[in-house]
Amino acid sequence: MHTRTNIKNNDFKKLFSRQESAPIIIFIAMIVIVASIQNNFFTPSSLGNSINSFAPLILMAMGQAIVLVSGGLDLSSGTSMALMLCVLTRIMREDNPVSGVWALIVVTGVMFGIGLLNGVAVGYLKLPPIIATFATSYMWLGIALFITPTPGGECVNWMRAFFDFSAVNNMPDGLKAFGAAVPTSVLLIIAGCVVWYIVSRTKTGRYMYAVGSNRITAYQSGIKTAKIQTTAYVLNSFFLLLCALFFAAENQAGSARIGDPLTLQCIAAAVVGGIALSGGRGNVFLAIVGAVIMSMVSKIIFFANMPDAYQTLVSGVIIIVAIASSAIYSTMNERAVLRGGR
Amino acid sequence: MVLLEAKNIEKHFGGVAALSNGNITCQKGRITGLLGANGSGKSTLSKIVTGVYFADSGTITYNGEKVCFRNPIDAKRAGISMAFQNLSLLPHLTVWQNIVLTFEKKNRFFLNNKDAKELSQDILDKFLPVFNISRTVSQLDPSEKQLVEIAKAISENPQLLILDEPTAALEQVQVNALFNYMRDLAAKGVSMIFTSHRLWEVLEICDDVVIFRNGKNVGELDFGKNEKSPDDIIKLITGETETIHHVKTYRNTADETMLRIEDLKYGKFLKSVSFELNKGEILGIGGLQGQGQNELMLALAGNYREARGDFRLRGKKINLTKPVNVIRSGMFLVPGDRQVEGLMLKDSIYKNVIFPKLAFKKQPVFTPIKKYKEECRRIVEKLAIKTESIDKTVDTLSGGNQQKVVVGKWLNFDTSVLLLADPAKGVDVGAKRDLYQFITKMVEENNMSVILYASDNEELINYCDRVLIMYEGKIVGELKGKDINEEAMISMSMQVNVRNGEGV
Repeated sequence: MHTRTNIKNNDFKKLFSRQESAPIIIFIAMIVIVASIQNNFFTPSSLGNSINSFAPLILMAMGQAIVLVSGGLDLSSGTSMALMLCVLTRIMREDNPVSGVWALIVVTGVMFGIGLLNGVAVGYLKLPPIIATFATSYMWLGIALFITPTPGGECVNWMRAFFDFSAVNNMPDGLKAFGAAVPTSVLLIIAGCVVWYIVSRTKTGRYMYAVGSNRITAYQSGIKTAKIQTTAYVLNSFFLLLCALFFAAENQAGSARIGDPLTLQCIAAAVVGGIALSGGRGNVFLAIVGAVIMSMVSKIIFFANMPDAYQTLVSGVIIIVAIASSAIYSTMNERAVLRGGR
Repeated sequence: MVLLEAKNIEKHFGGVAALSNGNITCQKGRITGLLGANGSGKSTLSKIVTGVYFADSGTITYNGEKVCFRNPIDAKRAGISMAFQNLSLLPHLTVWQNIVLTFEKKNRFFLNNKDAKELSQDILDKFLPVFNISRTVSQLDPSEKQLVEIAKAISENPQLLILDEPTAALEQVQVNALFNYMRDLAAKGVSMIFTSHRLWEVLEICDDVVIFRNGKNVGELDFGKNEKSPDDIIKLITGETETIHHVKTYRNTADETMLRIEDLKYGKFLKSVSFELNKGEILGIGGLQGQGQNELMLALAGNYREARGDFRLRGKKINLTKPVNVIRSGMFLVPGDRQVEGLMLKDSIYKNVIFPKLAFKKQPVFTPIKKYKEECRRIVEKLAIKTESIDKTVDTLSGGNQQKVVVGKWLNFDTSVLLLADPAKGVDVGAKRDLYQFITKMVEENNMSVILYASDNEELINYCDRVLIMYEGKIVGELKGKDINEEAMISMSMQVNVRNGEGV
């Protein structure tokens, strides 16, 4: 009875019953919808614009994914990103290229500080991640408001490369042409992916899944869970730094409030991408899928010419449909298997 | 040669002494059995030796040196590994990732996954032929999980291997394979500590045995010198001077049908199961593990919306798609994993016992607490649950008493059928006997019926009027009255195996 088509059919079924397939199907559907309402979606310049507008959420969702996988949650990601942005734009002076170097050194220190503090609170002090990072989010916001009470600041010219190569004076023409073809935001996302790829192939990466799977068991197996959780938060901080650099280069100014709406969005993006809030499952690549889906939602609403008053409501509905459909999809799959008797 | 010696170990949790005077000596290349009722301190001692807990006082000498392990990593480095009963596996990692966990090797930059997979496959081949090690642990069944847990401990090349109830979740064939492997390890000079509630296993595999009661050693037997006497050991475990053998009486069950199940289907787990249950009958469900017994119990309790078939209770059609329907019709489940599925561990005995009544019976506006507490006390008395007060939380009780609370929940109702899914798993000898005696009495007095699934054949043999043997989601045999014995049951579960192997 095992003919070739039969086997192929089964493989096909298996592919679709995988947990990751639901977000990917939604992802494809979203692209189809957007492409059909926005005629020039696939032209290079429009695609570049889209990616630039998606990039901050994608980068933050990638960081959030790492924290979620290791069994944590980061409610401070928006404000910590804003803090790093404020530090950058406050230190830099447009007329002094060296100030950019100083800014980078200081912001790297801030990045480690934020990651370590969140990580120590969750990992070593064993505070519930929701509460711990909620509290730290106010600390980051407070410091950011202290540094930058009103939006402002400056950005050195060479750092604009983090947004667009062609915005930098004295940039070689070859690089400018490359920048026109591949937006910097794509490079940042690729850099993030490479970092994750490397980490996921080390003990630290393996142990993140272990800790997220069950912290106590992982501890009893001899894993230093607190250290792993702290590392996850520091890695998350690194992704937030990439996002801050992007914003600094794009806006050439900092604002303490810029990250506020992004915090919950990036958590939702990770969940839409199929990353379990309970930890131990998912990866950074799924977070990218989720973040793109989330970004597409606002794009659809924008192009649908909806009155302002309804936009928020409709985006809420679309997001819940996206999350629910992936959950319903997997239960339907299970049911079908159980009913079919196979 | 003495490998490990623990002396006068004491350990308190809160104000409760889990271990007041624990002693154990392990000789090189010997298997030491650790016996005792639940809560007698066996697990606590094992966990102190492996550094999971820290002893309040006492000394541990290992390889001639005084040691003090602060955490399991220290113990593992020193060559002490433990296979835990409540598994130490991580559900979202794959089998091989679990086995090499914390012992990962690198090739230049990245983790060496190829070698890790080979190593895992090599060890598992000894117990589990044809096994896909790339599945995540959450996809495995309980016996596979247990074997992976053991393989993990072995992969660490320990000098001392502690096996905490490794056989509770295993079927006979697997136990034999494990025992063979344990003998090989012992011949290579590995010492082992083995705990089990099944006495005959301890008699078969162990070279000497230490018996615990109430946190103290109460006896040590060297099987090289002493006679292997089960009765003596049971006396030491229970502390009773006389052991009572269960005398089985085969009751004539009335020919009136209580429950009739026809063509019950549930996915690949149950393939057309049909049977009848008589009034006043204790019907056993047996067979190798993981052949659909658990699924059958859960399906009967209404846990599977997708279950299909024709079901009649006292001749009336019933609906098994929701637990509520099943409970309303008088069928109650005592689930297999009592701590997760059967109890609210952090709540009082009173709340646990009365809760179903609040949920399923019409209630006055204000709950008559006094009256209910009185009812709860009666139930506690009836079941002889050992506790100071009904306001104590359930997690302070021992396993056997916890199980009694689960049964007690349903004494508020008129029971037609009681579904027992491995009720005596992890329950010690004395409490097991109490529990079954109570259930037998209940059946006789209340004119109800029981479906019992037990992983231990002895329980089925001792207490059932009829036993159905399951294999791959089907009922493949039936044994009645005096025909129910170990040989018949095993051959019935295995014959099918042979036939299948021939590809018929």
